[in-house]
Formats: sequence, structure tokens, C-alpha cells
Amino acid sequence: MLELLVQTGLNALYSASYISLVAVGLVLIFGVMGIVNFAHGELFMVGAYVVVALYSQNEVPFVLTVAIGLIFVGCIGLLMERTMFRPLRDNPLGGLVASIGFLMILQALASMTFGVRMAFVPPVTQDVIEFTDKIRLPVQRLYVIIAAFGFLTALWLFLTRTRFGWALRASAQDPEAASLQGISITQTARIAMFIGAGLAGVAGALTAPLISVNPHMGHSVIIAAFIVVIVGGVGSLEGAVVASAAYAIVHTFVTTFYDGVLADITGLLLMLIVLIIKPTGLFGTADRA
Amino acid sequence: MFANFTRNGVTRRKFLGSAATLAGAGALSSAFPRVPLAADKVVKIGFLAPLTGPVAAWGKPGLDGCRIWAEWVNAAGGISIGGEAHMVEFVAYDNEYDPAKARTGATKLIREDGVKFIMMLGGDTWPGVQPVADNTGMLFSTLLPSDLSPDTKTLIAPCEVHPVYNVTGVEWLAQNKPDLKTAVMCAQDDALGLPSVATYLAAFEAAGIEMLDEPLLFDPATTDFAPVVTRLLSKNPQIVCLDTCYSDYVHPIAEQLFQQGYKGQIISCTADFYDQMIAKTSKEFMEGFIFQFPDFDDPALNADFINFKDANKFYQVYNERHPGEWGAVSWEYASIMDLWKAAAESADSAEPDAVLTAMTAGGKGKHAFGDADWWGSDLFGIDHALVGNWPVVVIENGKATIKGFKSIPEWYAKHGELLKKHMTAYNQMWNQR
Amino acid sequence: MRKSIIWLVCVAALAALPHLLSFSQQEILVVLVINILLVVSYRLMTLTGEWSLGHVVIMGVGAYTSALLTKNLGMYVPVSMILGSLMAAFVAFLLSFPLFRMKGFYFLIGSFASAEIIRLLWKRFRDPFGGPKGLKLIDGLPDINIGPIHIDFFEPTHYYYFAVIVVAACLWILWRIERSLLGLTFHAVHWQDKLAQASGVDVRRFRTLAFVLASGFAGVSGALLTHYIGTINPNTFDVELMVFVLTWAIVGGTATFYGPILGCVALTVLNEIVLREMGFEQARPLIYGVVMIASILFLPNGLESLVKRGVAAWQGRTGGAGAKEKTP
Repeated sequence: MLELLVQTGLNALYSASYISLVAVGLVLIFGVMGIVNFAHGELFMVGAYVVVALYSQNEVPFVLTVAIGLIFVGCIGLLMERTMFRPLRDNPLGGLVASIGFLMILQALASMTFGVRMAFVPPVTQDVIEFTDKIRLPVQRLYVIIAAFGFLTALWLFLTRTRFGWALRASAQDPEAASLQGISITQTARIAMFIGAGLAGVAGALTAPLISVNPHMGHSVIIAAFIVVIVGGVGSLEGAVVASAAYAIVHTFVTTFYDGVLADITGLLLMLIVLIIKPTGLFGTADRA
Repeated sequence: MFANFTRNGVTRRKFLGSAATLAGAGALSSAFPRVPLAADKVVKIGFLAPLTGPVAAWGKPGLDGCRIWAEWVNAAGGISIGGEAHMVEFVAYDNEYDPAKARTGATKLIREDGVKFIMMLGGDTWPGVQPVADNTGMLFSTLLPSDLSPDTKTLIAPCEVHPVYNVTGVEWLAQNKPDLKTAVMCAQDDALGLPSVATYLAAFEAAGIEMLDEPLLFDPATTDFAPVVTRLLSKNPQIVCLDTCYSDYVHPIAEQLFQQGYKGQIISCTADFYDQMIAKTSKEFMEGFIFQFPDFDDPALNADFINFKDANKFYQVYNERHPGEWGAVSWEYASIMDLWKAAAESADSAEPDAVLTAMTAGGKGKHAFGDADWWGSDLFGIDHALVGNWPVVVIENGKATIKGFKSIPEWYAKHGELLKKHMTAYNQMWNQR
Repeated sequence: MRKSIIWLVCVAALAALPHLLSFSQQEILVVLVINILLVVSYRLMTLTGEWSLGHVVIMGVGAYTSALLTKNLGMYVPVSMILGSLMAAFVAFLLSFPLFRMKGFYFLIGSFASAEIIRLLWKRFRDPFGGPKGLKLIDGLPDINIGPIHIDFFEPTHYYYFAVIVVAACLWILWRIERSLLGLTFHAVHWQDKLAQASGVDVRRFRTLAFVLASGFAGVSGALLTHYIGTINPNTFDVELMVFVLTWAIVGGTATFYGPILGCVALTVLNEIVLREMGFEQARPLIYGVVMIASILFLPNGLESLVKRGVAAWQGRTGGAGAKEKTP
């Protein structure tokens, strides 16, 4: 039983890692631009397909592919910012609808280029760290966990130690006040979009060898990410990380001890309960909603 | 105004085969007269399945297979009806796995394109189409026999008898590896997974294999299968059964089993792209994996009793045109067309009722895997599923190999009550729907 | 006098419409009429300023209720439809307690979560909801046979007339609500949240009222759909359809009563008829997405703004009074 608990804890740790990468990006984009990016799951999907195109089909080294995934999806984020979100800055619902349109485009492009069936990604390594016979951590999963820690730390340093990061946090807290302070909204929006999209892309690239890559894989990720964002509090990056961990633990344990459908219901209930007790999420403040 | 309804409205009446009715109906929609004129020695077949969206993998590869089939048949002179050669043309409608769109698609295919037969994936989409089938008498086929019921007079399941054939794999397992006695199972919680759960439970019970746990259901939106596998392995089973899952789940589950150190027997309904599973795990791990869908380059498919023509060549051409897309549905729709062609030629007519009569004549039919019986009253309330032998496929030395053909009716004769018991427990009998 | 002529023309056009279409277009037309009620009821909810992502599942509550009542209790279909609508309104009333503690983005996602829970409950409880397969063989409207008149509601044209009458009645009620004092209060709640509160309007009560009313009409549309198609399952009411409803409303524009209708009609015709006729298989979602983005970028106020401009231009040419002020 103890072994089962520890193994489930390891499963939850991995799950928290990639969900938090996706959720943090979503929070950043919403915080700075006020737009719910429905296409965020599809950015995750594009990251995974970068791995399919380069690593699986052309044998580019995996680490390099992940870096390319980050930059490529980050650039898609820039494209979205320039073509859709900037013109729609005063129209958040318009931004939402545009991101839904973009989601359909990305899905269609993926199925037309790579086919409707799942794509193949060979394993990066098959090594497994065996603590005991029943407690095992595949090294590929360890990579995801380490990378998530690395990226989140880097993001935190960037936000707290650099001028850009300071500007970004200022606009996330209060865009109007920030622009009065002479912070360029366009500039911060660009950075937020690049980082937010890039993190989703990198999460997709990192997990691509571990999950089934298909054009519709973004859907289940975005639902988890939304739950996490709400539980953590909109606009709160710390909240997103904490909530990712909480959601992953609850979901993983309920799946292991009861079943998957019940785990989904529990995750959603958890979120509703948080909202009822504290309608702005665990770390959210009242004025950003 | 109500009187208008009777004059202009289209009442319950058979449209098919009556050119006068078609012309009359055409006049009503005079703005868009799209009714085909004399069917110029072309016979049209409808293909009504998801071509986009998450379920597209169950439709699109089948359409690709059908196009190869049509090319071959047309090159060989088409279908001979009434002493004349007819070319086959497939008309596809993307139903997006939505019942309302399937209904629209069925209406379009029947009333506007004038197709003579419609192949569907079935499942969620069939109930939307059923009233159209009742009203037009059109002949439909499904890949999911669980759509059958006593009311579906013109629906046939002539190829896939999912999930009943899964019993053959378990039976083979019990005969060849009699020391494996305990099993666990996980399944996707939907119309595909649940009847299959009941079937495997019956098959395990019949084989004297003990289930260590309730089947673990997961939502089709699951991405990470580590928790599911951890739970399965916590019972120390000798057999892990993956039920009928999309390949998007079979692969990560198998990979997790490998990474979490499982070394026992695996049995599954499908193993599409098993070469990729081997690449993700190891040849040793996948050795002995039991499933139900052969590669069509298997020499066993050249046997005399196999009714699928040139299986090896079909596999080769398909893989050249659609590399990496071969799967269970690639050949199934095409094999249904073989059956339809034979029936149409023997009836000397493409009309749905005539073809259906010819097809089911004598209660026997030529299934892809050998001659079979029209069967199903017990389970579906109607003898419209073509059931006979089904291959048991085992991965040997990295290659799917047919280990033999087992008879489903023989199994059912012995253990039918068990199957009914478990189907009832999962609300899957026709009279529970 | 002029007004009644316009109405007569409209009625005649609606009556003639199905006979100008092909069979499959008639099928699409029926679903379109039902979706129009769905999107217009959605707009009533948005008047108060809150955007929900649960509307389609609420529609599903109406559909499931009506289907179960006819299937299990053999209830007469029109009665079950009304009860389905009431059930949808009641569920909305219950949901309003947790949901209206939230606003804006939180409300959007909160409504999504609670709707998703309902949907997952349909999936999980095979009895009575049928589980993931849902319900099938749901009775349609009973045939009507009076002497020579024979109405079979399986026929899309016949069901279309029935749906048009029901939907028109609902739209008329929705229109009256918006024009009443209540409707004005809804608008006030949206634009002047604090002010409305200060002037003694219980904001939350009116939000709840708008939510419950909108949900009742969504329930009607669900019931209309279920007794036409004859089958429903949890995926019928998934977030994909919700996303379509949202885009119909926004692409059409929500400032006017007819905006969402325009959006629904235009996008449905584009997706189901134009793109299919042009033979795009896999590229259909792609083009649909491009059109959606383009319309939101270049017509930020929706298709309704085109109509307004058209009307203004027409009035300008004919020298209608006040035309200049109306042009933005």
C-alpha cells in the first residue's frame, strides 16, 4: 500500500509539472492581455508536432527539438498577438472568439499535414529509476519534471529580477496604471504572448514521447489548465503552480483509487468549491476578473 | 395551410427505385434539382462516417481503403447488374460523429445523390439515421453490431462483430497458456468500451480466469495513463486486458506497463501500429501480445476459405498510398463492399431490398474471414450480424502473426448465457437500450 | 398597415422556404431553426453582462428531461417539452447560487465547470441517463391524422413548421421581455452595475432571473432537438457546440435582437452548405476558422452592424429623416 501511495505521488508530480507549464502560460496571457486563449491547448499540440516533424521524422536531437518547439510556438504566439489580439485589445470576447477560430485552423492544419491518426514519437530514453520493484520513475518523466522546475524558476527570476519582468507584472496587476507609468502595453503583450505560448509549446514538446500525439490532443489539456487557473486565481502565477499540484494530486489519486470519470468530476467539484468559498480563487484578487 | 402538408409534403413512402417519385420530389426542390438522372451505368455507394474531428480515425482510413477497392473493381469491369457493367462510385459525407449531421447526410446521400447502399461507422450516429432508414428502406451497414435491434430491419453488421470476436483471443489464451489464471482490465468509458468489457468478462469467466478487480474505466479525454496502470499493477495480475481502446490509449497504456515493470501477458482488441509500440517498449515486452486484427500481408490470409480478395496486395497498395495509416478499419469497409457486390450481382439488382434478400439468403454469408452465419437474435434481437471465424493474432518476433481462426458461434453455443449475463449487467442488451 | 404587410411577407417567406431547398438542406434548416432559439435565448442571458459557457448543457437538461419523460413514463410529447423547459430553468436556478458569487472570467469558467459536471453525471449514471451512449429511440411528435390531413413529423418540412411556430412564439416572448421594464433593468444591470445597485435594484436577483429565463428557452430548444433527431448523448452537448453558440452570437453581434440570428444563419450556411458543396473535406474547419477571425477583425460589431449601415445608407439615399445621426 505504501508503495502504491509513493508511486501515485510520483505520477502526480509528473502530471503537475506539465499542467503547470501550460497553466502558467495561460495565466500570463490572461493577466497581461485580458484574453482567454482558447487555443492554448492547440499550442501545446503544435509543440508536440514540432517533435514529430523534427525528432521523429528527421532525427534532430531531442533537446534541440524542444528548444525549437519553444521558439516556434512562441513565434506562433507573436503571430496571434499581432494579427488578432492587438487589434482586438478592447474586445476581450472578440479575442476569445478569434482564439477559437485559430484553434480550428491549427487543428485542421495538423490533420492535413500529419494525418488524423496519432503520430509516432520514438522514446528518448527507456531508462527507469527503480527505487523498489513497485516504485519506478521513468527517466523521460524525470526530464519533464526537471524541465518544468527549470522553466518555472527561470520565469520567476525573469519576472522578479529583470526590468521586463517587472513591467510584465505591473501590467498583469493593473494594465491602466502600468501604461500611465510609461510601460508599453504592446511590448509587454508581445513578451507575455511569446512566453505563454512558448511554455505551452515546450510542455507539448517535452511530453510528446510520453503521450499520444494527435490533432485533438489539446482539448483535454486545456480543460485541466482552466480548472487550475481558476483554482489558483486568475492572474496569479504562484496560484497556478500551487493549483496545478493540488489538481494533479487529487486527479491522480482519485483515478488510482476510484476511476477516471470520477476523477474528472472531483476535479471540477474541487474548482466549484474553491470558487464558492473564495470567488476569486486561492491567490486571486478581487479587481482582476 | 395544413392541407398543404399532404399535397406537397413527402409522406411515408418508399422513394427508392421509383423514378417517378424521385422526379416528383425533385420538382418540389426545383430551385436545386440535384436528383441524378438516369444512373448512367454508375452505381453510387454512400460513405457516411466521421472524416474530421476526434473520431476521424475510424472513418477516413476506411474511405481510403474503399477508393482502392473501387479502382480495382472498376478496372476489372465494374459490377454486373442486369447484364450491364456498372462502375462503382463512392459518395462521402462527413458526419463528424454527430447524430443530427448523420441524419442530414443520410438524407442527402439517399434523396439527392441516389446511392444504393450506405456504409457507416455506426455508434452514436446510427440512432439519428435510424428513422431515415425506416422511412426509405435504404440498406445500411455498421461496424458496431451493438447498433442492431429488432427494429433495424435494413441495418447489417457484415464485417465487424465487435465485441463478440474478443472471446476468441481469450479462448486461445486459455488453451495455450493454461497457467495464467488472474487478470485485470481497463477500458474507455463509452459506447465502444462498455460492451467490450462485458464480453471480456464473459470470456474470462468461461475460461476460468479470475478477475482481481472491477474493470477500471477511464474517460476518453485522459492524457496520462500512469495512474491507471499503477492501479492495474497494484493487484499483481498475470494478465492485463486493455479491452477495446482507441490506439491513442493502447499505446500509452502499453508503454506505461513497460515502464512500470510489468512482464506478464497482455491481451487487447486492437494493436494498430504495433511496430510503434515495439519501438516504444521492447521486442521482448511485446512478444506474445494477443489481439484480433491481422496485418493483411499475413500468408494465412491466402488460404482458400478467406473471402477477402488479394489481401496481401491490398495491404501493399494501401501502405504505398497511405504510409503509416493501416489499421483495423482500413480493410473493413472494403470487405463489406465485397459482400455487397456479390449480393448485388446475384440479385441482379442494386435495389436495397433485393440486395439484402440476396445477401442473407440461406442464413449464410461470405465473411472476409471465411463463410459465416447471419446471427444475433440472442444478443441483438435480429440475425443481421455475420458471424463466423475470427483470427487470433499474436505478436511473434516483432510481427503480427495469425495463430489460428476460432469460431465465435461455437464459443457462444457453450457460453452464451455468460455473455448475456455480463451484457445485461452493463446495460448492453438490445432490449435495455 | 405597412407593418402588417411586412409581417405577411415574412410569414409567407417562412412557409415557402423549405420548398425552395433540397432535402438535406431541409434537414439543416430544422436544426438551424432550433439553434436560432438557442442563440437568442443565450443573448438574453448576456444582456446582464455575464457570458456563460453552460448554456448548451442547460439545453441538454431540457432535452434529457423531455426524452426521459416520454421514454419512461410515456408522456405526451408537447407536455414533456414544457416540463423539460421548466426543468432546465430549475437547474439554472439551483446553479445560480454558486455561480452568481462570481463575475466575468470566473463566471465564464465557473459556468463551464458546473455544466461539465452535469455532462459527466450523464456519462457516469447509465441508469437513467444511458451513460456515454445516451438515449435513443426517443419518440417524436405523434403523427396527426384528421381526415385527409396527414402530418408526419418525421418529415423535415412538417417538423420545420412545428419548430418555426414554437420558436416564433418563444422569440416573441423574448422580444417582449427585452422591451419590458424587466429588459431595461437587465440592460441597466449590465452597464451600471454599481449605479443599479445604488438605485435599489437587486443586481444578483436580476442576473438570476435573466439566467433562469434564458435557460428555460434553451430547454425548449433542447426538447425540440431531441424529439426530432430521436437520440441524444452527452457529447451532443459538449463544449464544441457551446463554442459554436458563442461564435454565432459574437460574429452576429449582440447589440440587437436579430444580431445572433444573423450570425447563426450565416455561419451555419457557410459551414454546412457552402463549404460542403465546395468539396472541402479536411479543410472545412480551417476555412471556417479563417472566416471567423476575419469577421471578428473586420466586423468587430458583428454582422448586425452591416445591416445598420445598410439601413442607414438606404435611408440616407431616400432622404429619410434622422439618417445622418444614425450613421456612426
